[in-house]
Amino acid sequence: MMRRFINNKSALFGLVILIILILSALMAGFIAPNSPTPSPPDLHNSLKPGFWSKDGIQGMPLGTDALGRCVLSRIIFGTRVSLSAGLVAVGIAMILGIMLGVIGGYFGGWVDSVIMRFVDIMFAFPALLLAIVIVAVIGHGLDKAMIAIGIVYTPQMARIIRSSVLYIKEMEYIEVQKAIGSSNLRIIFRHVIPNSIAPVIVYGTLMLATAILDCAALGFLGLGAQPPTPEWGAMLARSYSYIVSGAWWAATFPGLAILLSVLSLNLLGDGLRDTLDPRLKT
Amino acid sequence: MKKLKVILVLLVVLAVVMSASALFARGGKEPEPPEEKAAPAKTEEPAKKAPPPEQILIFGSSGDAVRLDPANVTDGESIQRMDNIFEGLVEYKKGSTEIQPALATSWEISEDGKEITFKLRRGVKFHDGTDFNADAVVFSFARQYDTGHPYHQFGEWAYWGYMFYDVEKMEKIDDYTVKLVLSNVNASIMTSLAMFTVNIVSPANAEKYGQDMFKHPSGTGPFKFVDWVKDDHITLEANENYWRARPKLDKLIFRVIPDASARLLALEVGEVMGIEYPNPADFDRIMANKDLKLLTEPGMNVGYMAMNSGYGYKDANKSGIRDPDEPLVKTPGYYEPLTKKKVRQAINYAIDKKSIVDNIYKGTASVAKNGMPPFMLGYNDDVEDYPYDPGKSKQLLAEAGYPDGFEVTLYVMPVSRPYMFDPPKIGEAIQSYLAAVGIKVKFYQIDWGTYLQETESGKHQMCLLGWTGDNGDPDNFMNVLYGPNATSIGAAGNYGFYTDEKAQELLTAALQTFDINKRAEYYKEVQEMIHESANWVYIAHSNQNVVFRTNVYGYSLHPTSRKFFYPVSIK
Repeated sequence: MMRRFINNKSALFGLVILIILILSALMAGFIAPNSPTPSPPDLHNSLKPGFWSKDGIQGMPLGTDALGRCVLSRIIFGTRVSLSAGLVAVGIAMILGIMLGVIGGYFGGWVDSVIMRFVDIMFAFPALLLAIVIVAVIGHGLDKAMIAIGIVYTPQMARIIRSSVLYIKEMEYIEVQKAIGSSNLRIIFRHVIPNSIAPVIVYGTLMLATAILDCAALGFLGLGAQPPTPEWGAMLARSYSYIVSGAWWAATFPGLAILLSVLSLNLLGDGLRDTLDPRLKT
Repeated sequence: MKKLKVILVLLVVLAVVMSASALFARGGKEPEPPEEKAAPAKTEEPAKKAPPPEQILIFGSSGDAVRLDPANVTDGESIQRMDNIFEGLVEYKKGSTEIQPALATSWEISEDGKEITFKLRRGVKFHDGTDFNADAVVFSFARQYDTGHPYHQFGEWAYWGYMFYDVEKMEKIDDYTVKLVLSNVNASIMTSLAMFTVNIVSPANAEKYGQDMFKHPSGTGPFKFVDWVKDDHITLEANENYWRARPKLDKLIFRVIPDASARLLALEVGEVMGIEYPNPADFDRIMANKDLKLLTEPGMNVGYMAMNSGYGYKDANKSGIRDPDEPLVKTPGYYEPLTKKKVRQAINYAIDKKSIVDNIYKGTASVAKNGMPPFMLGYNDDVEDYPYDPGKSKQLLAEAGYPDGFEVTLYVMPVSRPYMFDPPKIGEAIQSYLAAVGIKVKFYQIDWGTYLQETESGKHQMCLLGWTGDNGDPDNFMNVLYGPNATSIGAAGNYGFYTDEKAQELLTAALQTFDINKRAEYYKEVQEMIHESANWVYIAHSNQNVVFRTNVYGYSLHPTSRKFFYPVSIK
């Protein structure tokens, strides 16, 4: 199995990038050449280019943004913000999704109908729109954006886990458990959930990518991370107006960071699916 | 899987292309040559042919008008369109706030200063063909102050409350004579009469459209209204019967382009021929382009951060002044630290305004130390500004009992205004400066309409705002923005909730004094007091900037930021 994964070049590429991102998130304080939020600000460094130009400032390789802050350092610290935001959002979606999916799938009947119709209703809204509505209700901020995205992704998780549960609960070992009189709770936690988790992991990885993207989108709209938090989407939103003035770097690099992280997670997720799905075995 | 790979390859290619194009866009040199050829061809070539082509000027505005009823708006976008449709009894001279006759040919002020009699211009017609006369003047005024007037219900008349509360009534003497009666002497009333609020509208037109009148404006000005496509454009055409002479332009179109970069690009390719509010970071690019000219001059404005010092009053009888039975109460945004003068002064010491003006405004503004622009009557140049001194700031915070600072919420405007072009950036700079002395600033952003409502109700702890002068009179800054009478919760203009009674006495005395030197002394004293109380961090007086293509002639900036296109022509 491991070999199949390693032979999958694009998945490996995704993994390498992701590891780099995770490392830079964990050790942002050591890697970043400058503070992402210097206080007091060095406004005189506003919009200086990076290493490619002789007007650049020593020690700020990717240039500075409008408030004279090092773009590279902000991107590195932004990794921490974006990855953790994605993880928390997907975590929330997983917990809620597993709860709803398992209850619905395992017990069936009217419980299942109620939960699944509710999930259907949630599906009727476009993801980002629903997230914006939730943020509008519970308030702005990175933490609230995570919760909103978590809620938005719950229905997808619930459906996936429910379909696995439906399959697993008909297995003979579950029947055996029932025959020897195990409680439903024990069956669910000891047997049903562990055996239906594989697709959730694959799907969760792919979902992480879209969660990061949606988080950046909320940040771009000013609903997610609040200043001075170095969040990629917010960095992009505050700098794109300077592209016309020639300061393309302040918006381009955060955009590339979003692109790279989403790309790596998608490649990795695809690779994991190829590896874990028995039907794709050769 | 294969499909996915194809998509991925496409994505990577797209990313490369995008970053490459960004690299090229950097100098802005690559795409320029074709533009230079294209633009003059459009405008100059036809000018040489025998029948003169239509002179059409398209102006790129940052937002759409709200209403086209001069008495019922407060926003600059609506006003700049109506400046070309409507006129008042008097008007400002070119480039100044001195007045000259317009629809009134002469006037006389009575000895006690409470009655002004106007002789009206004869032979002027509204765009709808009806005559301009005393009835129209009385109609335009009475609908604002007379609560029993049949058209009073169709507006909010906000500016009447700010500037014209001293007007008791407007009377018709004969068909071409009217008399304005004041309840109090008011030294600024004549300059105020040149404001858009008291422009003359056609009564016949109001009768025809009723509450929809603001969609079908009809005045006496140089341009007639043609059509309005919401959030897209407003078209005006030349008024052939304008009493001065027909304007040189045949058509004047205001197009809405909200994004500053998009506006500049549209100007560069000749889609529009003039724009407002260029981004200061683009000035080098504008200067380097010989097809464009930048008009700039110091603006009559101030941009500031106000700190809510905690108390205002509820104006129960809506009189606009604080009566004895209206006590000071806590504002909803009451916040203990900001009620202390030392804390407010500490915040003043902690912010490096010069660096903000040099690097964020890119030098398109001057540092402010008082609440009104330096060229106005009564500006107190002896006030010594709080220098940037974080050490002193920390010391004051410690003395006030906050050695470790505190957390505070800052309202940050969601829109660019003439007095503050990019509030989120300025807010973020202030946030970093205050973090250095231990004050943690939380951002609060909300849509512009709600923002104004909440700050007028004193819900903010600190807020960014500013003001553009309307009539060139110091009262229009000092009393409206800093007068204790303007701390009425729900309709405040004094966002620092500065409530020193003595200041109000001085301001009221100043408004009722005609001796210029004496007035100036009153205003200077109030500025000294406000400086000491430190409810505001005055940041900057912004320049006003407009960019035109070089073949547009005759436009001149006005200190009030109003936009008069009558003298403009295209060559």
